[in-house]
Amino acid sequence: MRWLKPAALASLSLAALLAWTLCSAQSSAFIHQKRYVMGTVFEIVIYDEDLSQADDAARAALDEALRLDAVMSNYKPESELSRMNRSAHFQPVHISHELYEVIEQSLFYSRISDGQFDISVGPLVDLWKAALAGGPLPSVAEQAAALHCVGYQKIELMSPDRIQFHSDCMRLDLGAIGKGYAVDRMVELLRARGIHRAYIDAGGSTIYAMNTPPGAKAWSVRLRDPSGKLDPEIMLMNSSVSTSEQSAPSVLQGDAPGHIVLPGTGKPLQTRYAVSVTTASAAASDALSTTLLLLGPTRGAALVKTLHDVSAIWIDSDGQRTVAGEGAAFHLAGESRSARISPATRMMIETFEADRDLRQ
Amino acid sequence: MLCALLLGSIAACTPATAKVFFRVAPSPLPPAAKTAIQDLVLAWPLRDSSIIAKFREQGYNVWLQCDSKDLAPAVTVADRMAVRGLIVTKLADAKQSPSKEVSSFAAAHKNLAFRVLVSGGKQPQMKGRLVVERDGILQVSSPSTQPWLDSNLAIGRLAHSIYPDSFPIMYDFRWAAPGEPPRGAWHPDAEDYALAIAESDAIRSDVIVELPSSLQKALTAEDPQAWWLWRKVVPYLDFSSHAPVTNVQPVASLGVIVDEVQRSYEAINLMARHNLAFEAVHPAGLTPDRLANWNSVVVFCSLNAEAAVMLRNFAANGGIVIFVNSHDKFPWHSTSPLRRESHSTTYTAGAGQIVELGEPVVDPENFARDLRRLIGPDRSALALWNSLTTLATAYREEGQHDISLYLVNYADQPDNIQVQVKGHFTSVRLESPEETCCVSLPFVERNGFTEFTVPSLRVGARVHLDYLKAGSAAQ
Repeated sequence: MRWLKPAALASLSLAALLAWTLCSAQSSAFIHQKRYVMGTVFEIVIYDEDLSQADDAARAALDEALRLDAVMSNYKPESELSRMNRSAHFQPVHISHELYEVIEQSLFYSRISDGQFDISVGPLVDLWKAALAGGPLPSVAEQAAALHCVGYQKIELMSPDRIQFHSDCMRLDLGAIGKGYAVDRMVELLRARGIHRAYIDAGGSTIYAMNTPPGAKAWSVRLRDPSGKLDPEIMLMNSSVSTSEQSAPSVLQGDAPGHIVLPGTGKPLQTRYAVSVTTASAAASDALSTTLLLLGPTRGAALVKTLHDVSAIWIDSDGQRTVAGEGAAFHLAGESRSARISPATRMMIETFEADRDLRQ
Repeated sequence: MLCALLLGSIAACTPATAKVFFRVAPSPLPPAAKTAIQDLVLAWPLRDSSIIAKFREQGYNVWLQCDSKDLAPAVTVADRMAVRGLIVTKLADAKQSPSKEVSSFAAAHKNLAFRVLVSGGKQPQMKGRLVVERDGILQVSSPSTQPWLDSNLAIGRLAHSIYPDSFPIMYDFRWAAPGEPPRGAWHPDAEDYALAIAESDAIRSDVIVELPSSLQKALTAEDPQAWWLWRKVVPYLDFSSHAPVTNVQPVASLGVIVDEVQRSYEAINLMARHNLAFEAVHPAGLTPDRLANWNSVVVFCSLNAEAAVMLRNFAANGGIVIFVNSHDKFPWHSTSPLRRESHSTTYTAGAGQIVELGEPVVDPENFARDLRRLIGPDRSALALWNSLTTLATAYREEGQHDISLYLVNYADQPDNIQVQVKGHFTSVRLESPEETCCVSLPFVERNGFTEFTVPSLRVGARVHLDYLKAGSAAQ
């Protein structure tokens, strides 16, 4: 788990929607800004009548993401997380509200996933990262030593602002939730500045849609499909979607490890699935996408059924898919039908399709 | 267009000046002493050639850009108006060496300089996943979650190798259409110009940058906002103009054998983006001496028997050879492969290995990562850590061990760049538009590499690594 999720894709497909927009209502002007944050590119599109306000708001939101990177980065030795990782073994340490909150949220997902989601996986990730970069595969002894450091139960949060590790080699890595958490804070900031229509993309793997584009009923987001057959889409409005996928297998070497590590075994996950999750919060969709990839479709679907307003879709390289949840629906354009359409969104998609057909 | 122009032979690198030319409208511009621009490009045909004299009086070198079919009339005007030289845009026959078309004019007009422009360049920039166009349509962009860098390094590296005995090659690009800039903002902005200038410096290639007519007019009219922008560009122009003009060669641990660009370009582009220090060579230019410079080779084309034997010997001495989309018969096929995967077959050859990929590069991003992983950190001539928005190139003069490292940061905020360069050096000196030459950087030596950090790299910088001579003590 780290900032980057190679090939964890959820991409925006707005051309059709915007054409629709132009037909049905006068389009507002928009601004588009991007910034290199958390090892990827954060982008914001804001529709607003006042472009100066939109520009200032986008810049402030990206500044906020950059600020949170300085808190949560495990690459930067002087980040608050890095400092905490160096000292929380010895005694309880004070941490910021943001760091406390994101760790608290992480522990929630660890508990509901029976430890499949685990931010203490840092030592294992670092071990395999070296192999990913061309170094030798870690030995069994090295894997065992790193595995010994892992376990969310050894993290103790002491309200309101302290933390202690009950392991002398524990190291937290917020790569599987940090971007989503940052997106949620950006959304809060934009709303506080009076922005109503915005789209935030954290490197493709986590996306949040505020309200709708002008004249449209939702933001249409195209999702990752390893098979290339299903062309899945989702329509977002005040909700988030995140996608996780293991690193693509090596074409030159058969034994190259992936970047997502199973906390239970200490080894890289082997899966042919990509999973996309939609829910109301970006931190939740971010954390759940990794969790559900690790759990796989059977156990993952069971977990999703216990959660409110969450939907997930697993798609493998052959086009086999599993859909679960009661949240927004996934539309499989490649099959010309929805995988599962909830009553709340059926009308929205049908309207969209009818309008698209009219334009064609 | 690029691919059509890059069909020629790819061989030894030609020297490059890395000058920045500005293509301008034939209308007034403040003097060169004020703009810090040295070379102006005017597109042929010119309605009123008197503008050339005006620009020359203002201290500019003036160049005419024309198609090869227009060379005769353009040269006539160039001679009459004391133009510095001609930039030939289109060749009548893309497969023909430009030397043949241009050399007769060059021989008859020794007062004029000639350059060949390779089209197909891109505005250097860091991109996200969205493409925002002026008409408000947003589309899916790159499927990479790492920052995507639009870079001209691959074009530059290939183009400089294409016509070994030809005229200097240069590239250009069009500014990408902006989204909705806030009121009062210029597009391109100062950082866009700075990045284009720094990239040209790093590629060691001449570039033509478009100066929008709106900015040209505003600068001429002494518009304060326009000059506020341009004053931020001037340090980069000054920095670029003070680069040493020498016959440098890329420092490369990886050779790329290619005879046709179309099917290999994107893979090579991603190799550049992943800072794999490489140089491109046509199979005809492959020699044991050349192979001796590298420890790894990627082959994108068919080879004759002699070249295959050379590569087998290269591998036997510890090298790694990767054949892409290979279906030829090779001598090592008589031995059992070390490993057979769904996409590749690996053979052991002495101390090294030969990997044959049975298909074209489908995912260039993944291929470049695989390549870096296969080559391994110990064999890389240079490496950057945690610097996903920075490209690095390294050069040395022929026969010399000193290295000049060029760094370009495509992100819009400064980054601390951790660098590892193979070899031992007595000093590491940094120069940048923000730092007068030179600031000594602390460094350490580890396992045959020199490691240092460039603090707060904004857009571009050069780092000079002076070689450890025998008997000298390292820091």
